[in-house]
Amino acid sequence: MTPDLTIEIAGIKFRNPILTASGTCGYGEELADIYDLSVLGGIVTKSITVKPREGHPPPRTAETASGMLNAIGLANVGVDKFIEEKLKFLEKYDTKVIVNVAGARVQEYVDICVRLADCPRADMVELNFSCPNVDEGMEIARDPSLAEKAVASVKRVFPRPVIAKLSPNVTDVALIARGCEAGGADALSLINTLVGMAVDIESFRPRLTNNTGGLSGPAIKPVALAMVNKVYKAVKIPLIGIGGITSYQDVVEFMLCGASAVQVGTALFVEPNAPVKIIKDLKKFLIKRRLSKVTDLIGQLREY
Amino acid sequence: MSKIAVEQATIERKKELGNSYFAFEISPFSKVKTIKPGQFVHLKIPHADIYFRRAFSVYDVYPQKKTVEIIFKVFGRGTALLSRRHPGDMLDILGPLGNSFAFPANKETALLVAGGIGMPPIYFLAKELVAKKRDKSKVIFFYGGNSRADLVELARIRRLGIRVVTATEDGSLGFKGLVTKALAKEIDGLHGKLRIYACGPEGMLKAVDRLALERTIPGQLSLEAPMPCGIGICLGCILPLTAGGYTRVCREGPVYNVGEVRL
Repeated sequence: MTPDLTIEIAGIKFRNPILTASGTCGYGEELADIYDLSVLGGIVTKSITVKPREGHPPPRTAETASGMLNAIGLANVGVDKFIEEKLKFLEKYDTKVIVNVAGARVQEYVDICVRLADCPRADMVELNFSCPNVDEGMEIARDPSLAEKAVASVKRVFPRPVIAKLSPNVTDVALIARGCEAGGADALSLINTLVGMAVDIESFRPRLTNNTGGLSGPAIKPVALAMVNKVYKAVKIPLIGIGGITSYQDVVEFMLCGASAVQVGTALFVEPNAPVKIIKDLKKFLIKRRLSKVTDLIGQLREY
Repeated sequence: MSKIAVEQATIERKKELGNSYFAFEISPFSKVKTIKPGQFVHLKIPHADIYFRRAFSVYDVYPQKKTVEIIFKVFGRGTALLSRRHPGDMLDILGPLGNSFAFPANKETALLVAGGIGMPPIYFLAKELVAKKRDKSKVIFFYGGNSRADLVELARIRRLGIRVVTATEDGSLGFKGLVTKALAKEIDGLHGKLRIYACGPEGMLKAVDRLALERTIPGQLSLEAPMPCGIGICLGCILPLTAGGYTRVCREGPVYNVGEVRL
């Protein structure tokens, strides 16, 4: 029997729990040159801001042990062009579209979500409260009451589900998670990148012009798992796990820790078709373990 | 059908070209027939110390054998590890990626300028021009390096039957000095419409860019930037455009018109 890979988050049905993470798949156009985006559970777009942004000057990526640092600086086309061109492109595909939204102030999130409210192709929004590479955003990510206020403000203007994306660069991720839940978040995604640094000993300079960047890739997976596990116990809303997911084993680990779905991110830079392989392998795993549906994995971790 | 393939291939042949240069023939790659001069492939070098793929301009293709040939010089960790791979070893290949050179008009004389490890895409272009039965007197290949040991595969380039002008900074072969000086000297004696194509180190590309703009010769440069993803999704390999904003070298490039990018 073919196992059931579908999952549901806040009433939205996904064909499988494999999504692509914001900032690692653009607006889908490039990956569409390699495979049909309709195989994906969903696609989370690059962060959208009110105005277009060029991002930081190069170099803005650096290879590190089992991962990378990036400080792109939220380069994006801005909400107008996004709706006109990019969202239109995604209409061709039978996959869920989650629009990642970033802003400097609560009002900016609201302004963007007002625009997206009229675009049915934006199945959900994901609020990026946690980009470590722009000074302004981090405030909301670190303050539970501000996070609550931001989510509540967006909920008032956006009629479909709202996801809050959590930063690991905080003292207690569960506290922020509860703030977002209180604000009415329909789901949480975690984790964003960890603040990190790489140094060039020839030039005595940081490897990124932003000096610091966000660490991602397999290097951060253990941190992400621990945080998903912690937040799963702290809130009732569904979680989407992010952090170094490269294989089906990683997906199973995140789901056991409490994630209802996952986002594949940095792995796409190395294996653009990683999601295709993961979906196939995940199905095989469920058959081998005689599990009829993937949701049977969620939160089934047997802790000591 | 997808335009870009991700496939497992084998190193069929490995040649040491001296001075830390290597040539690898990689096969089979299903997209060989679609590869155009200027495009590149992104190779995964399986090793714990390497996370990203590494980008290599295509040097040559053998469509019947589904083979892609690349040349690289050992420069950092990635190329050092790749140089220790052997025939029979598997490599994961992603491509073809990037844009390609626009061919010259029939009347134009193509001035192909290759500096050191920038030679492969220029050779591929030269080979295609010759294969397209262009007048061989209208293709001139300029090849420069620090010394003669940098001018790898010179015999193969000469076999194309086009004029090859060599330049070495130490004077060990051909013109003594920078290849761009040799180019400038040659242009002075040429008549008719010209078009420049160049790939090489940053300094050389800057000089070619300046020369072409000063003399209003159209042309294209193949540029380089460290490329994490190679397909345009990581936004890492950007360069500033003269008109403002950034360009993704892997996606909008690596081939740009003269004057287009702020070098």
